[in-house]
Amino acid sequence: MQAASELAHRLPRITLSAATTLPSGLATLDAALPGGGWPQGAVTELLPAVTGIGELSLLMPALAQLTQAGRQVALLAPPCLPYAPALLQQGVDLGQLLWIRASHDAALLWSAEQLLRCPAVGAVLLWPRQIDDRRVRRLQLAAEAGGGCAWLYRPAVADRQSSPAALRLRLHPLADGLRLDIFKARGGLARAVVVHTAAAAAA
Amino acid sequence: MLWLCIRLPRLLPEAGIDATGAGCARLERATLERLALWARQWSSQVSYRCASAAADDALLWIETGASQKLLGDARTLQAQIAGALTALRYSGELATAPTPQAALLLTRVPPQRRLVTTLPQLHQQLAALPLRLLALPAETLLQLHGAGLRRIGELLALPPADIARRFGPETTLYLQRLTGAAIEPLPPVPLPACYDSECEFEVAVEDATALLFPLQRLLREFAGYLLARDRAVQSFRLRFRHYRQADSELPVRLSQSCRDATQLLAVTRERLAAYALAAPVRALHLEATRFVAPVVLQNDFFAREAQQAQEFQQLLDRLQARLGAESIQRLQPCADHRPEHAWRSLAIQDAGKARAPLITSVAPRPCWLLDTPQPIDPPGELLCGAERIESGWWDGGDAARDYYLVRAADGARQWVFQNLRNGQWFLHGLWS
Repeated sequence: MQAASELAHRLPRITLSAATTLPSGLATLDAALPGGGWPQGAVTELLPAVTGIGELSLLMPALAQLTQAGRQVALLAPPCLPYAPALLQQGVDLGQLLWIRASHDAALLWSAEQLLRCPAVGAVLLWPRQIDDRRVRRLQLAAEAGGGCAWLYRPAVADRQSSPAALRLRLHPLADGLRLDIFKARGGLARAVVVHTAAAAAA
Repeated sequence: MLWLCIRLPRLLPEAGIDATGAGCARLERATLERLALWARQWSSQVSYRCASAAADDALLWIETGASQKLLGDARTLQAQIAGALTALRYSGELATAPTPQAALLLTRVPPQRRLVTTLPQLHQQLAALPLRLLALPAETLLQLHGAGLRRIGELLALPPADIARRFGPETTLYLQRLTGAAIEPLPPVPLPACYDSECEFEVAVEDATALLFPLQRLLREFAGYLLARDRAVQSFRLRFRHYRQADSELPVRLSQSCRDATQLLAVTRERLAAYALAAPVRALHLEATRFVAPVVLQNDFFAREAQQAQEFQQLLDRLQARLGAESIQRLQPCADHRPEHAWRSLAIQDAGKARAPLITSVAPRPCWLLDTPQPIDPPGELLCGAERIESGWWDGGDAARDYYLVRAADGARQWVFQNLRNGQWFLHGLWS
């Protein structure tokens, strides 16, 4: 009896956290994601096999949607220069986009947490050199507080480590797109989907 | 008129045992001046008095009668000011009464009886209080005791002429000021047009974190001054005074005007954390010369959005203070055919002002651009191309290139070009 009431007490929280999602703009992906889109107020881990396979283009429809709605989006310590003409081509409002460089991971993660806690920030994309699950949990808490999306880019080998992120995807290049291997989805099932991003369309 | 008196018995605890030296008197005066400006946020009539042989405690008076309509009744105001004083980490005794002298006297009675708002109430309360509470010379108090007087009421019942004859005219004058029969002239504290305040240390401070406590005080006092002037700042300057060495300066800039102490402190703390002190600091100086109208959030339909926008500006200030102003930028396209010149980054302060140029559409571009093109071996299969770009002959950045899309062995899609002048191949971007 006590266990049942405890469960009932916990239930609203679980359903609530799964409730808010952001459409990815890719029909096959939305169908595969719990709630029909990227989870908001949560951390999503993206593990590309290598850099330059469309791992950023995958998020472009979502970023275009957020920035056009007046939400701020921050790119934290990306591996290369985010190229303004390309972002514009994909519909991103550059007036709402921040490019932030940090000299070390501690400053980067601090900034990410601060940004995520701010309700005006719709999404934070970050490329830390290294991150442990304690810091991922802190990002998760910050995202819950602010309600924005936290997209965390990690090397492919990180899939062997456990993580408190709500959603985790491996990204494999295909000739005409990306294979997304959803190996952890809170409130959903692990599965794989194939998507065609704008980067693939260019080819 | 209603006067709130703050009696500050231990204004300079850090000054040590020797609290009578000339240096201490100067420190005390400076501290009181700062506090008086801080107190101007509640009233246009503020006055202070340094500790002297006659009165051992430093005193600050604030006229709160005129502010009640705006700020709440005397009790609320007294509690609010007491709270703000605690936030500054000063300990003082507060009391409110219709005359400055009565307010001072009431700071020495039990806390529940330190608020009197009308003259009849005051007379009634004074009558029952012991004589020794009067701010009269010890000698006069002894004489009064010798004459068999124990309570203030007994003394007030005597004819003023008799009191003047036996205890001197200054005693009569004091009693008249105490009871409201005579006005006490208090020197007013004017609001200067520029803010300039200094916190001096007895022992030089070597560690920047040890500056946080005095900094907090300076900024809270500063915020009080800003409120009093109904102004906000967008920049101010911290100056560190050293021994036998020129001062060093730390300018603090905010992206949006601000007058909130917490926000000022959050930004300054980050600036200070990233700042290396040149030498031990003997005094911390805060200076502001340019003020702007404050951004007041209207309580309307857009309040939430406006507040979010303001919170975001404050966040940017904190990030800039921590990471350095140049670490946070906005991106813009530029009208140039050469890919490396077709974009620029702007400081966030300038991004709003600079209009993005209209760009004619070009072939698809990759999300990532390399800082400088990387020489590579000639690629095998060219998936897409060529896009010829010839430009820049006029500014020395001459370019004649054919761009292609290439799929690397690991699956990465690369943006490469061949230099048409020498046939060499370069990697310039990634279709991330």
